[in-house]
Amino acid sequence: MAPFDIAGLFGETGAYLVYLAIGFCFGFILESSGFGDSRILAAQFYFRRLNVLKVMFTAIVVAMLLIFWSTALGLLDYNGIWVKPTYLWPGIAGGIIMGVGFILGGYCPGTSLVSAATLKIDGMFFLLGFFIGAIFFGETVEYIQRFWHSGYLGEFTLPELLGVETGVVVFLVACLALGMFLFFEWLRRVVYGVRK
Amino acid sequence: MNRVARLQLAGAAVLLLASAALALHGQPTPEQKWNYMAPKYQHLLTDRKVYIDPAELLSLMNDDYIQLVIYDVRNESDWNLFHLVDSELVSLDSLEARRDRLLAMPESAVVVVVSNDEMLATEAWKRLMVIAKPNAYILEGGLNHWLDIYGVPGDEHDGHGRAAGLAPDGTMRHPFTQALGDRHAAAQPDEHHLPVREYERRVRLLKKIARAGGCD
Repeated sequence: MAPFDIAGLFGETGAYLVYLAIGFCFGFILESSGFGDSRILAAQFYFRRLNVLKVMFTAIVVAMLLIFWSTALGLLDYNGIWVKPTYLWPGIAGGIIMGVGFILGGYCPGTSLVSAATLKIDGMFFLLGFFIGAIFFGETVEYIQRFWHSGYLGEFTLPELLGVETGVVVFLVACLALGMFLFFEWLRRVVYGVRK
Repeated sequence: MNRVARLQLAGAAVLLLASAALALHGQPTPEQKWNYMAPKYQHLLTDRKVYIDPAELLSLMNDDYIQLVIYDVRNESDWNLFHLVDSELVSLDSLEARRDRLLAMPESAVVVVVSNDEMLATEAWKRLMVIAKPNAYILEGGLNHWLDIYGVPGDEHDGHGRAAGLAPDGTMRHPFTQALGDRHAAAQPDEHHLPVREYERRVRLLKKIARAGGCD
């Protein structure tokens, strides 16, 4: 029953090789989806291109289905998966900061790595800024400890928020994803006259 | 409709159907989850590797280096009658709400589940393994067995020895004269004033503790 103890199964070196393979696949998918190009990423915010929305939302829905079908069939112990605890207020602030940075710089941290890996100069500069920001944050977070730990809700997930079964939430998210794909495709055609 | 559009449509249909089927199928209940996990953990119960002797629990209660959490899963009436010092009254259904705490426990933490006998505590142990897999154990023979060993005859009608010969049925078989909770002498007996009891040590800490000596 998953999750498996990778290091226990393959040894420490084997585990690192597995992580490397997963990282390579992840990077490959990002790059082949166009996420190494800041123009494609930034175009999402103007609804000119929908690569980010489609790829990320599809990944979310597919991952949800795999996780919860595996759990339903007894192949995966969901309680063995790390679910990041919710810190509501810093989460909202961080989301806004990251969103603004995404629009201004054209990358998020992960895609800037993909971009830098393909030797794009803007990606390298973004990555440099990311590291400087991370160091600055690390050195100053002690001054905002109270805010940093505010709005703690534990492992708070959508089924708890909505008070419905997990499977229903997965279905609603799948519907939301497909609805958004259709809506933004329609918007793209109406506003920009894009046919393709 | 071109090939890409057909593929997109097929993909969307697969996602919708799979998510609708999941909504109808639902997620497993705690009992079903235990059944899935049983091949990995059932032997701990069958081989009685997680059932600890009352003397080992008493030793844990007096060990300052171990963070001991005792979950008492009996009903409130039995709890009021007698319970161990520092134990917590928890129903089976409310264990899930303690998941965050269980996950945050340090490696020096030990959880011991107690009930009147072993049946309910065993169910609670299974539930704990489903929820968070803590380093959890079950009090062997339950509180009835604990009281057989550490009970004070003056606290009970007809002396505490009366319960020793009765078959375990999940009830409290020690007839207390008063509902004093953890103010009974047996709630935290002084192990230094008791005869040494031999037992097989079964509690394994997840990390070895560096015990300081002397003036520390």
